[in-house]
Amino acid sequence: MKRLWNVFKQGIIYENPLLMLLIGLCSALAVTTNVSNGIGMGLAMTFVLLFSEIIISAFRKVIPNSIRMPIFIIVIAAFTTIIDYVMQAYFPELSKSMGVFIPLIVVNCIIMGRVEAFSYKKGVLDCVADSLGMGLGYTWVLVAIAAIRELLGNGTFAGIQVMPASYQPILFFTLSPGGFLVFALFISFNIWLKGRVGKARAGRDIVKEDAA
Amino acid sequence: MMKQYLRLGLILAAFAVAACVGLAFVYAATSDQIAANQDKQLNESLKGLFPDAEGFKDVTADMTALAGESKLETAYVATRSGAVLGLAIKAHGPSYGGPATVLVGMGTDRRIVGVRILAISDTPGLGLNAANPTYYVKKAEKITFTGQFAGKLVTDGFVVKQDVDAITASTITSRSITAIVKASADSGESWIERNALGGN
Repeated sequence: MKRLWNVFKQGIIYENPLLMLLIGLCSALAVTTNVSNGIGMGLAMTFVLLFSEIIISAFRKVIPNSIRMPIFIIVIAAFTTIIDYVMQAYFPELSKSMGVFIPLIVVNCIIMGRVEAFSYKKGVLDCVADSLGMGLGYTWVLVAIAAIRELLGNGTFAGIQVMPASYQPILFFTLSPGGFLVFALFISFNIWLKGRVGKARAGRDIVKEDAA
Repeated sequence: MMKQYLRLGLILAAFAVAACVGLAFVYAATSDQIAANQDKQLNESLKGLFPDAEGFKDVTADMTALAGESKLETAYVATRSGAVLGLAIKAHGPSYGGPATVLVGMGTDRRIVGVRILAISDTPGLGLNAANPTYYVKKAEKITFTGQFAGKLVTDGFVVKQDVDAITASTITSRSITAIVKASADSGESWIERNALGGN
């Protein structure tokens, strides 16, 4: 249980796909113009990641090494198409506002990267933990970026007006350069935080050694 | 060697078949709902344009092709107890962020009843304001970008920034949508002409 929890934690913070591994960025920058898109994209992505990892991990012994890539793509594409249909059927508004980015989950590097680096080598349970960690790690960063961009760029949160009516939205944040800026600030903050936590830990270790 | 290729091919085929079967099931389960959603959206838009209409008849086959880069999708005649109220034309054309689909309603008096944007993928906060019900091109009168077409005669001017108010910083979107509206209205006018409903 402890092991699975550690795997899960990796994706949320220490190996966060967006902030630490820096993969899957295009869609992350493109859909984060409002919070509902961020949540929708994050959950769709988590769904595809979860099921692709489970299937590939379960069948990893029968997937020959030489043709693993095409098989990964078949599995990922199948689940992406499934989530695309489901969203069109039951969440038409969300599906419309995210447009082409749902089908483009197929070529999201996070999924290909995790399937290749993790689930082709590990057991099903580890894969469930890894995909949930990575998926939620991706989702929370999307939502956080989207919240800032939507609030400053449009004066709303998840479509609800929160800024006073006199607030003149800063369009810059809704456009791509604003996305880059907010995202870069997130990465810098994360690296700064990591440095501080690292130092604190190192300090603690020294104290422990001294005590010993 | 040959045997090895065959083995790999069969494994790949097995995965592809399994994926196809899975997709077929999901498609069968969702396709009705997806079609219903699209119908519902179109019906709501049609009803919004012609609230008095009792029925809509598909007349796509009778329409003339649209001018420029706009493409006709479908056209409906709105009727009420046998009388024609007007024509609704669904068309798409290129816009800033990909194709935009627009529904244009036109009365038999050759005035535009209303314009609805059914699909658009332009920049949020800029071009996407074309479909935003709270973005006004005329703030004082609370007239939206598509709202300003209502009541316009087909023969009126359709030049953006002269006859048509543009969305701030989105001239391309404004021009594209206006072009689709104009092309649809022209085609609608010619249908009304040919079916001799124009009156005066």
